[in-house]
Amino acid sequence: MPDRTSRFIWPILGLPGMVWIALFFLVPLYVVFCVTFGTVDPIFRSPVPAWNPLEWRFEQVLVVWDRLVGPNNFYLPPVLRTLLYVVVAVVACMIIAFPVAYFTARYAGQHRALILALLVAPFWISYMMRMLAWINLLQPDGLVNFMITLGGIIPLNVNWLSGNPFTVVMGLIYGYVPYMLLPLFAALDRISPSLIEAGRDLGASGFELFRRVILPMSVPGIVAGTLLIALPMMGDYFTSDMLSKSPSTSMIGNLINLSIGTPGQSGQAGALLILVLLVLLAPMIWYTRSNVKSEVRS
Amino acid sequence: MSDRPRPPISRRRLLQASALGVPGAWVLSSCARAQPLGSPAPAASAAGGSASAAASAAASAPALTEIPIASPQNPVKWPINPGNEPIASGLEPEMNATLRVYNYPDYLYKRVLKDFQEEYADYNVKVELSTFNDISEALTKIRSGSVPFDVGFLTYNNMGRLVYGDLIRPLNHDYIPNINDMWEEFQNPFYDQGWQYTVPYTIYTTGIGWRHDLIPEDIGARPNPYDVFWDTKYAGSIAVLDDDREVIGMTILRNGGTDVNTGDPALLGQTRDSMLEMLSLSRPRVTITGYTDIPEGTMSLSQCWSGDLITGQYYLPEGVDPALLRYWSPPTGQGLIGNDFLCVLKGGENPVMAHHFLNYMLKKDVAIKNFGWVGYQPPLRSLTPETMVADGYIPANLAAAIVKPEWFQVGYPLLELPVAVEGEYQAIWQQFKSGG
Repeated sequence: MPDRTSRFIWPILGLPGMVWIALFFLVPLYVVFCVTFGTVDPIFRSPVPAWNPLEWRFEQVLVVWDRLVGPNNFYLPPVLRTLLYVVVAVVACMIIAFPVAYFTARYAGQHRALILALLVAPFWISYMMRMLAWINLLQPDGLVNFMITLGGIIPLNVNWLSGNPFTVVMGLIYGYVPYMLLPLFAALDRISPSLIEAGRDLGASGFELFRRVILPMSVPGIVAGTLLIALPMMGDYFTSDMLSKSPSTSMIGNLINLSIGTPGQSGQAGALLILVLLVLLAPMIWYTRSNVKSEVRS
Repeated sequence: MSDRPRPPISRRRLLQASALGVPGAWVLSSCARAQPLGSPAPAASAAGGSASAAASAAASAPALTEIPIASPQNPVKWPINPGNEPIASGLEPEMNATLRVYNYPDYLYKRVLKDFQEEYADYNVKVELSTFNDISEALTKIRSGSVPFDVGFLTYNNMGRLVYGDLIRPLNHDYIPNINDMWEEFQNPFYDQGWQYTVPYTIYTTGIGWRHDLIPEDIGARPNPYDVFWDTKYAGSIAVLDDDREVIGMTILRNGGTDVNTGDPALLGQTRDSMLEMLSLSRPRVTITGYTDIPEGTMSLSQCWSGDLITGQYYLPEGVDPALLRYWSPPTGQGLIGNDFLCVLKGGENPVMAHHFLNYMLKKDVAIKNFGWVGYQPPLRSLTPETMVADGYIPANLAAAIVKPEWFQVGYPLLELPVAVEGEYQAIWQQFKSGG
């Protein structure tokens, strides 16, 4: 009897989640495919989705493909730029978040909840508002320039908002660092103190302890955090739009956003979106498989 | 033997589940509107539109290549689709109406809307303002019919789509006597001969705006003022408009051309190369927020519309002299020029009140009050360009932002483009916005 109950209870409990995924992920994804492989209204240039896969056409995908690898491959620079920005921002997020997560997990004691709450507190404000705040801070006569020029004593004129790649990457780091912090904290918090003590007892130096005990055991947190921030960063267009507004810092997300807003180009937006999806699918599959493997090992 | 993790789903199961997608696709296609490609949207409304009328309009809709493109050399008198005749004369405005107005953001003084509500208080009208970011978004939403907008603030390079898409309602001129106070050009505009569907709203030129303390140069004194966008001296502190037609048009003028609606591949190729050169030389930002960014000093110089700098005075930080703002467009009027219009949308529920609203917006004191806030000049006969500075409407340093009637004879309007040419423009713009 308990066997029969447990046989049905988990699928029933999982049902709302599955319905949710079907309605809000699979159906929209199918719509994206139908728009990408559909046609365009000849008067309004709005997308006409092809719901029947047998009627799918591939012109828009070929246009995007040509602009990526063809002779006039002007989509390639934003793609490479996006990859570069995301790699730099992810590494920086890790460097920033790791010590903070480690300190909070190991040394914050009874204040850890408070510290975590304080670290995440700024992120209760909307992303747009935080970016608008940065625009104020980074203006030519803003607080950042005031501080780095020591109140105007050092003759340094930095225009942070003039299509500066550093500003965009900084915005990405600022926007996504808490999403790296939380999984890292969860992974580091799970490391048993006795393992660290054992490492010390066996004569490991601080660096050796980090390299041979803490780092390997925090890999699931690092991978989870990396995926959690890299995926939305790949499609991010808002940061560049707000902090740069310059074509020289355009990312894939900006291309998608531009295509969506351009009459007759929704198919290209869909094709770009599918491209991003395919690129991101590989690490997702790798992560899922490595998780399954580690569960089996444990 | 170790227990291998069970795959979350077997291939057989996956195929079985995929089979479920077929009815899913059928459901989605059933939800889609049953509408032939290129046919007008069925914009039936409670106020007179009907599904059969829309269907008949659909049947009469020509292919896009057959839709005429209005230009000063080729003025167009649009047809009136069967079932979409103007409202009758002498009707009372609708009681308890919610008049839905659809416009760009920051392009209408809200005080004017309140005044309209007060003037028509006997009819208990309420005005609801919704905004769109670009015309493509506006057309999509109007077509969807999800909100029954009564009045639209739109642009003339979409007239063909609006008429053949059966989205706008022809006007009954009896309700709009204030048209007589508009410049003659706009009582019979090339894009709507006989003003069957539209009344003018504002007029503007596209030029260059800057803050003189940040760019202490007389841009207009350069042999070719447009060259400032290719000047490395101002790299990083300038911007162009986030509008493909305006930037491409400006580049064509800068290169000595005059056909800002060209479909010539060689000229377009040369224009694209110039725009990419601009990117590498001056790294411009691409934005339409020059009206706040220039006054605030976030940006020193930008391509902008004439109204931007006039309204920009109100965004200056405290202590900054408004006299520092400058605007340049060709003083002969041979530059980019345009106007926006007001129209009654077919899907609206209050066509009589909408006519009254159009007439109200053309009233001299209302138009001037609105001008004072949005910064864009209405083409009012009673607002003489020559005396606008003396009358205190515009400060002397921004006199170049005043638009003169004769400029519409020599200026270069951005017109609707054939689909293939429009695709070329879009590709150039995408390459530009990709960073080259």
